[in-house]
Amino acid sequence: MTYDEKLARFNEHIEDGGKVETNDWMPDDYRRGVLKFVEMHANSEIMGALPERECLPIAPSLRRKMSLAAKIQDEVGHAQLLYRVAEDLGKSRDTMFHDLVTGRSKFHNVFHYPVRHWGDVAIIGWLIDGAALVTQAALRDSSYAPYARVLKRICAEEQLHLRHGEHITMELSAGTDEQRAMFQEALDRWWLPIIHFFGPRSNVAKDLLLRWKVKTRTNEDLRQEFLDRYVPKILELGYTFPTPVPYRDADDYLVRDEDIDWEPLNDIKKNQGPETERRLTWRRDIYETHRWVRDAMAEPAVHAA
Amino acid sequence: MDVYEVFKRSGHKEPFAHAGAVIAPDSEMALIMAKECFLRRREGEHLWVTRRSDIHSFSDESLLEIAADKSYRFPEAYRDVVTKREKAKVRAKEVMAERNAS
Ligand SMILES: [Fe+2]
Ligand SMILES: [Fe+2]
Repeated sequence: MTYDEKLARFNEHIEDGGKVETNDWMPDDYRRGVLKFVEMHANSEIMGALPERECLPIAPSLRRKMSLAAKIQDEVGHAQLLYRVAEDLGKSRDTMFHDLVTGRSKFHNVFHYPVRHWGDVAIIGWLIDGAALVTQAALRDSSYAPYARVLKRICAEEQLHLRHGEHITMELSAGTDEQRAMFQEALDRWWLPIIHFFGPRSNVAKDLLLRWKVKTRTNEDLRQEFLDRYVPKILELGYTFPTPVPYRDADDYLVRDEDIDWEPLNDIKKNQGPETERRLTWRRDIYETHRWVRDAMAEPAVHAA
Repeated sequence: MDVYEVFKRSGHKEPFAHAGAVIAPDSEMALIMAKECFLRRREGEHLWVTRRSDIHSFSDESLLEIAADKSYRFPEAYRDVVTKREKAKVRAKEVMAERNAS
């Protein structure tokens, strides 16, 4: 079979809703595209652990501290699961890690921003995990089957994170003026980055990952689902939105395209966000100081004679 | 002859799950037997076999227990989010009424 014949057959297979396994034949662009996408997702999980890690010392109780630490552990675990999937597509974990800490690869925009107080933990746990869950739930239908399978487990844990985040949000929201102001202040800072999180409108004609059903829905479709799900909940709690302010249209909560300022995202795409450099350095330092643990774990057990 | 453990997956969305075991002289034969035993009626689409002696487990099952109270890892720990949500809504109504009055 010629390459073109193989490609035609592959396209047809995908068109029919077929799935792809690691050892199946796939076009190079498919392999590269999936690898880059899963690698970016893995990077985001491991970098996403850091902002919350920064909040551990300010947890208001021991119980909150332990549950936040458990969530952070889950996020690092997600990274490990995803790096494993990416590795099978032909890039070693060491190389991926190196590319991450030297700023050669990317991670999600929201993890480039600072955290200031406990209100940030509420926003991250409820709205950012909520946004991630909307996108990840859609990816459980991805054409790349090993990714879809791993997302099943990840989404189950994200569901719990959402509960954890909502729990903190509701506690702050039922609380004092000061507690409510914390949530509002954090919402004012995070709203635009959360809107950015889904990305600009998809170019359906050009987006290979959409055509090959690695991604199953467009960015704007996912953003819309998020808005419809969360805007009414936030309004019900008596909070207000900064720009882009959502408005109601029949059953939908929409934001106007022209209200979204994409400028901050451009810096982040160049790995020049407000916290990018500091967090990447931190990640690299953690990697170095923990080297002895990895080395020790790589040695087979020594048994007494 | 060796005992081979058999794993099957019913579709691309499922993980491999243990189906049973067969006795065979090598992995090729084990696959053929496994197919006859466990996929006769298309109960799965994919099959793995592995020698039982290559599977490792804890000899002391008590090591599988969770060492301390980690209830915050389970959804039940957050069940009172329902009452918290109701309280938050009541509080929000107060705040919004004050806002409208001023
Ligand atoms: Fe995660
Ligand atoms: Fe999460």
